[in-house]
Amino acid sequence: MSDSPILAVKGLRAGVADEDLDILKGVDLALGPGEVHAIMGPNGSGKSTLAKVIAGHPGYEARGGSVEFGGEDLLEMEPDERARAGVFMAFQYPAEIPGVSIANFLRTALQSRLEDGEELDLFDFQELLMERMELLGMDASFAERHVNDGFSGGEKKRNEILQMAVLKPALAVMDETDSGLDIDALQVVARGVNALREENPEMSVLLITHYQRVLSHIVPDTVHVVVDGRIVESGGPEVALELEAQGYEEYRKAHAA
Amino acid sequence: MRRGTRRGICREAVLEAGAADPAWLRARREEAWEIYGAMPLPSTRSEEWRYTDVGRMLPFDELEPAEGGAASGPPGELRRAMEQDRESAGRIVDVDGRVVSVELDGAAAAQGVVLSSLREAARAGVHGVESLLATDAVPASDGKFPALNAALWTDGVFLYVPRGVRVDRTVRLSRWVSRPGTATFTRILVVAEEASRISFVDEILSPGFDSVTLANTAVEIFSRRGAQVQYVSLQRMGRGGFYLANQRTLAERDSTLDTLNVALGGSAGRVDLNARLLGPGANSDMLGLYFGDADQHFDFNTSQDHVAPNARSDLLYKGALDGAARGVFRGVIRVHEGAQGTDAYQTNRNLILSDRAVATSLPNLEIEADDVRCSHGATVGQLDAEALFYLMSRGLERERAERLVVLGFLGEVLSRLPLGGVADKVSRAIEAKLRHV
Repeated sequence: MSDSPILAVKGLRAGVADEDLDILKGVDLALGPGEVHAIMGPNGSGKSTLAKVIAGHPGYEARGGSVEFGGEDLLEMEPDERARAGVFMAFQYPAEIPGVSIANFLRTALQSRLEDGEELDLFDFQELLMERMELLGMDASFAERHVNDGFSGGEKKRNEILQMAVLKPALAVMDETDSGLDIDALQVVARGVNALREENPEMSVLLITHYQRVLSHIVPDTVHVVVDGRIVESGGPEVALELEAQGYEEYRKAHAA
Repeated sequence: MRRGTRRGICREAVLEAGAADPAWLRARREEAWEIYGAMPLPSTRSEEWRYTDVGRMLPFDELEPAEGGAASGPPGELRRAMEQDRESAGRIVDVDGRVVSVELDGAAAAQGVVLSSLREAARAGVHGVESLLATDAVPASDGKFPALNAALWTDGVFLYVPRGVRVDRTVRLSRWVSRPGTATFTRILVVAEEASRISFVDEILSPGFDSVTLANTAVEIFSRRGAQVQYVSLQRMGRGGFYLANQRTLAERDSTLDTLNVALGGSAGRVDLNARLLGPGANSDMLGLYFGDADQHFDFNTSQDHVAPNARSDLLYKGALDGAARGVFRGVIRVHEGAQGTDAYQTNRNLILSDRAVATSLPNLEIEADDVRCSHGATVGQLDAEALFYLMSRGLERERAERLVVLGFLGEVLSRLPLGGVADKVSRAIEAKLRHV
């Protein structure tokens, strides 16, 4: 890694709030600017917990170790502060917000990034939104729909990518964004992510997935395999292929405590 | 102007309110006063008043009937509210229970539209007032408060739209109550003749009061065959205000009679709305929106009376409650015998924003016909933690995220409203209130 990491996770132990059990049992990870790291692992290995702890989900707590983002202690920040600092999580199951249009939501999100008393220019916003939707090949009417309300699985994921495109994060954490998508929807998501990376080569991506499939569309620099709350192997894209051939069971056996 | 001695709610006040009235109206007031005296105050032992203890909340012995406003015109706060309105076809301003100005678009007037102080219309013998005032819609016999209003009303609005006349822009009433401890009695009578169209917005504001201040309103709306009528009530009184309204809409064959009740202000509000579907093909969309905080108390008692067959009514009331606010919704769909082919729907949804806020929802069906489509539903829910986290994960501070969820929740009601200008105004009022929560 040439640059100092944008995301540095050290010895992270974490679990569900109000439960004693640690799901993450000491995770170390360093993600440099512009890098794509994939986190793979079986169900229950802790990969989604890692995403939620990074985003600051109130249902999860870090109990040891540290998470630094751009040199700052991420664990000390509220979820909204993390977002404004440049962290974006694409949700596995995005919430529905009835009555709130995507455009209004994004406008409010950008307004939140301004100083008190500073007003977002609505004309500039409209222009940005249109330009972003064009980049992703979306119909302009999409932004008038209410956030995830009655959306199909594919539409929800496209909405996540649109938000990412508008908010332009430094770090995108994609929590099983590929799960439940058919191949067409997966390609739409992958094209969006790749277009954003092309536009901003500094954007780092932490891609959490159960399947190798997505990695042929969004090619990672590094693949980490998580089993039982620990990273048991890290390597190039070939690790994902190996995993696909062997299955998680081999890893489980090999790394059983 | 206020007198040296207190008068209170009494027979002398009735005589004084009717001093310059024609004989028929004086007689009607006297009769109403008798009915008022003969009826007990609604108690919490009755189902309809179980959650609003008017005897305790309203100090009847201390209320002083209002005697009209200052001649200097509407105060600044009311003027600012009026400036937010889009173009109107007509505008009437009422201060402390007296109409102080009436303006009607020349084109509408030329087509025979009448917009008048109700008091003046009654005194001048304008056609329709004697036959329809407190007779078919909200008669004194309807209850304690309809009787009190029929006895003591001081002014209000008479709006008449002749056959076939379609008024595209809104007619607005802007009301201001300025005096603490007073009781204001206002009536609104809207008559839309066959195939006419009108939309009427009734907005009430006041400063905050140290003592309970009553604004009592009787609203009577007639839509004749094929007419399209919309009535909107915006209650934005200050604290201490007690808003008490009896509204009845009568929709004849093939007419559309839609209502929206918005309750944001005051310390307490009680609205009794009865929509009567009197002819086949009649339709009433009934919308309601309330947002309470601190110790605000809003109580809605609605009924959808399907008297005629093949009519439709659809009610949606949504409320958000913060602080120690209380929301009550009690609604009934009554399908009368012979009202086959009725479509009637009723939905009440509440969003609770604090541990101390309480929502009570009592939907009801009384069906005496067999070929009907009816549904009712009620929900009381809290802010969804996942939704809040989702919004915060995009950079919205917690308060901003909560605001957005509440606006979205209440916005569903406004999105059903065809009048753009009203929706904007209500949205702004909700946003302003959210900023203070």
